[in-house]
Order: sequence, then structure tokens, then C-alpha cells
Amino acid sequence: MKSPYLHIKGIRKVFGPIVAADNVELEISEGEFLTFLGPSGSGKSTTLYILAGFQDPTAGDILLKGASLLSTPPHKRNIGMVFQRYTLFPHLSVGENVAFPLKVRRLSAADIDSRVKRALELVRLEGYEDRMPANMSGGQQQRVALARALVYNPPVLLMDEPLSALDKKLREEIQYEIRRIHQQTGVTILYVTHDQEEALRLSDRIAVFNQGKIEQVGTGPQLYASPSTRFVADFIGDSAFLEGVLTEISEQGASIRFADGSAISGVPVHGNAIVGNKAELMLRPERIELSCGVPDGRPSLRVTVEDITFLGNNTTVELSTGWGSKLAVRMHFGHPLISRIARGDALLVRCAPDTAHVFAAG
Amino acid sequence: MLLTYEKLGAWRWGLAIICVVVCMFLLLPILFICALSFGSSRWLIFPPPGWTLDWYRELFADPRWIGAALTSAKIGLIVTAVSVSLGLLASIALVRGKFKGRSLLRAFFLTPMVLPVVVLAVALYAAFLQLGLNGTLTGFVIAHVVVALPFAVITISGALENFDPAIEDAAVLCGASPWEARFRVTLPSIQHGLFSAAIFSFLISWDEVVLAIFMASPTLQTLPVKVWTTLRQDLTPVIAAASTLLVLLTLALMVAVPLLRKGKKQ
Repeated sequence: MKSPYLHIKGIRKVFGPIVAADNVELEISEGEFLTFLGPSGSGKSTTLYILAGFQDPTAGDILLKGASLLSTPPHKRNIGMVFQRYTLFPHLSVGENVAFPLKVRRLSAADIDSRVKRALELVRLEGYEDRMPANMSGGQQQRVALARALVYNPPVLLMDEPLSALDKKLREEIQYEIRRIHQQTGVTILYVTHDQEEALRLSDRIAVFNQGKIEQVGTGPQLYASPSTRFVADFIGDSAFLEGVLTEISEQGASIRFADGSAISGVPVHGNAIVGNKAELMLRPERIELSCGVPDGRPSLRVTVEDITFLGNNTTVELSTGWGSKLAVRMHFGHPLISRIARGDALLVRCAPDTAHVFAAG
Repeated sequence: MLLTYEKLGAWRWGLAIICVVVCMFLLLPILFICALSFGSSRWLIFPPPGWTLDWYRELFADPRWIGAALTSAKIGLIVTAVSVSLGLLASIALVRGKFKGRSLLRAFFLTPMVLPVVVLAVALYAAFLQLGLNGTLTGFVIAHVVVALPFAVITISGALENFDPAIEDAAVLCGASPWEARFRVTLPSIQHGLFSAAIFSFLISWDEVVLAIFMASPTLQTLPVKVWTTLRQDLTPVIAAASTLLVLLTLALMVAVPLLRKGKKQ
């Protein structure tokens, strides 16, 4: 069997009583763009810093092309990294910043010049060689940092929330730049973020981190359409969770009954599902169908309109179920129903069972 | 803002007058001494009856004055080197270190700033009697480093606090060894702090008189001590000339530093 390009092998990191990374296992292929997505303190940055060599794992190994990286000190790992904070050397110009890794490697002056020029072209900052970092915007500084991290052709590029200090519009602009640079260079990128939109926009695959563990690894659509845990379902995309009791598990899926007696069946089920136990039904707001008709035998729930909020291209309708749970439905602009409903109306919620998920409680 | 200059109305004139008075209070003695050093009167009469450069000639002709100035410069430069080196090491510990009693240690480093200098001088004198350091260059340097170090620690740790350690990490990932990163990235990045610390340290030693009087011997005197002892013997305008030169050097350093820094940035 061919060994993977980069293998994060059972990494565990313990700080005193806190387990920051718990048996993190990942295989990354060459040229892949993989994102660690998770809330702060979920272990994604710890894993990245272990890769960079700034922290030693309590257990586990990092293999690059089959060889362990752990005994190599950080300055000899040849890894590129872009940090969350601005880390350009303040006393050096842009050109000198990008040349720094090459000067440390004692390349010839002519070689350095041509490589710096190419790296700055790659991030579209040609002609900025003599600028000082203090005279550049945050976005420009991070692009220079990217050029500095790529100029020595590292086998892996690490990016630790590099855009979190920028405003939304600039962030999106640079996200597209990063995608283009990834396609152009084919460099393997490990990217850390807590922003699901950023993860979905950039990555080939996403590893969702929670409490030091990887919950699920997959492409964006995979994670969105079939989350394997409640955490992933909650973290990626908007979702509503309705609590009920599992009444049946069959080949077609699970059945869940709610406090007002209504039930939905044939839903994919995840986790340690036991009939009779509590479970939660997850619905995506854009996959729910609202109607003011009468029940027609299809699985449906009775709801009351709590609030209607116009948000431009869509309108969000807040609903409450007969037993007091809340859920939201998103309707695109111009939906015929919007003008006919008002606060306090009784409606029916329908959903295709295969777009919903049941997560066993506990 | 509640207290803006524009909204003060008539109070503005009051403020302006206070400002002028304070400035005059600070500047007049210096201008006065400066004028006297060029005055032709041997008895420091003001306003001077005529103008002359005699006192400067006398000053530069006297090897004792020149010797004192050279001693001052020598002590000042050694104090600068020692104070900046120790200040850098102390700042690294105080800013980067994570140990118990860090804020206590910082306060300790700053105590010479608030301690009465005379108390410090008496204590050092007593201690140096045991060690045989009174009247020696070493004694002078140690005494001046004690008062210069707090300023070095304040300016260098200020610069270090503004320097993100992640920048050092970035240099290491770029391939620089940890020592290379410190020398090629961290030190140049805080150079303005080191520079200010050096200027402060030198000026403190250059101007210092109380400790110097205690440390001085007939053969080892700094310029301020020479001014002081001469002043007690006779009231010659040569003192005014020496004082003017002292002030001039201080002024030159204060002006040169921002200019040098500005030039570097461009």
C-alpha cells in the first residue's frame, strides 16, 4: 500500500489536565487543500502547531512522505506558514521579507532576486519590493506573508486563520486569491479556520474538530448533506433540532415521535440509537416546506408562526411547534406563501425524510 | 470630548500665559548661564558688560577640565554598554518570562528611580569602602548603572512588548535557527528601544552629580563633579562655559536621535 503524502498519526496533546488534541488521525494527499474547522479550543490550532514543530505531541507521529518529522527542529522542517497575526519583519522591506528565507538558505543573489520577483507576482504585489510593512494594509501584509511562505517551495503550507483580522469583503477577495494560488502552485495546504463559509469556499476536504477530536472528514457537500454527528450538523449550515422519542429503527430509517403525538419516519439515524430513548430530528431551514393546507398523510408537523423577518433575498419565518420547540424556515424572495401568512397563523411543516437526520441523544 | 481646547473660551488665554511662564521658568536659567559664559565680566555680572570667548579658551587650555570631560565620556560609554546589555536581558525575562513574582521583580528593577539618590550614594559609598571601589572607574560605572538601568528596562521592555513573538516564530519557520531569528529579526525590530535606552543611559551618567561626588577622588572626576568643586572654590565664568557645553551636548543628543530615526525610516 502506498503511504500517504502527509500522515497525521494518532496525535495526542495534553496540557496539564486539558486534552487539547485527542488521537487526531488524518491522511492528506499531495496537492490537497484540507481545512481544520472548529470552534476555538477544539484542537485545530494545536494540531497545526505540532505540525510546524512549535509544540511536541504527547503521543503520535507526523509522517511526511513516509518519514517522521518529529525529530526535525522547526527551522529545518522546510514548512511554510501564514499566521493569524501580522508577522512581517517590521524592519525589512517587502522584498527583503520575501528574500529572508532564501538568504537564510544562502542562495545566490541572482537566484534570490528572480524568486522574490516570481513570488510577489504570484500574490499580485509586483513592484511593492521597497515598501515597508507598516505602510501596507492588512490584506496586503498577509499576501506578502503568503509570498514569503511559498518562496522556498515548501512541501506543505500551513495557514492559521490568516484572514480573521480582515473585514468581510476583503476576506472574500483574498479567499479567491488563495484558491487561485493553490491551483496555480499545486502546493499542499492545511488551513485552520472557525468560519464555515471560508472552509466551504476554499477546501477540497474539511476536517471538523470538536473538543480535541475530529468529528468528521469529508468534502463540503458531504458534510452538509450527511453529517455523521449532531455537532457537525449544528456547526455546518443552519439547522433546527426538534427533540422527540425514537419509536422504531428499520431498514428505511428511524421513526421519531414528538410530544404532541405527531411523528416522522424513514429518517437516516446517527449515533447510538436505541428505541425508546430520546433523540433529535435535524432539519435544514431551506429544505422545509411550509403549507397552510390540511394534513394529507405525508409526514408533517403542526406549527404556529412566531415571527416573520425579511432579509433581502430570503425571508425567515420563525415557527414554534405544539410542544414549544422553535424552528426557522427560509423562503426565497417572492415565495407566494409569504404574503398570505401572518404572526399567529397555524401552518403545516413538511420535509422529505431523506433531507432530515435523527441524532440519538447521549 | 468634554475638555477640548476649542471649547475653553477665555480660559485659553489663561492656559497660554501659564504655558509661557512655565517654559520661561525652565529655560531662563539655562539661557542665563549661556549668556554669562560669553560675558566679559569675571564676576558673572548680568547683563554682561561686553562679550568674549576668553572663558572657553581658558576651559580648553586647562588639562583638568579636559580630563574631567574625558572621564565623563568614558564612564558614560561604559555605563551605556552595561546598562543596555543588562536592560535587554532583564526585559526579555520580564516580558517573555512566565514565572512567579514577575511584577515584583519589575518593581524591584525600577526602585532606583524613586529611591532618594543621596540614600543610594551613602549606601554605595559604605559598601564600596569594604570592597575598595571608591574612587575607581569600576565604582563609578556600578553606581551609574544602578540609576541608569531602570530607564533602560522601561524603554527596552516597552519595545519588546510591542514586538509580537509570532514574528520570531515566523522567522524560525522561514528557516532561521532560533539564535539567527533573535539576532536578525528580534533585535533589529526593537532597535529604536535599544537606541533610546542607550541615549538615556549615557545622559543619566553624563549629568549625574550626587553619586559622582561620593565616588570621585582627586584624580578621578567627572565633568559635573569638576563644575561642583570649582564652584565651591571660586566663581569663575569658566563654569558657565563648561555648563553651556554640557547642555549643548545633551541637546545635540536629544535632537540627533529623532533625526536619525526619521532618516532611517525613509
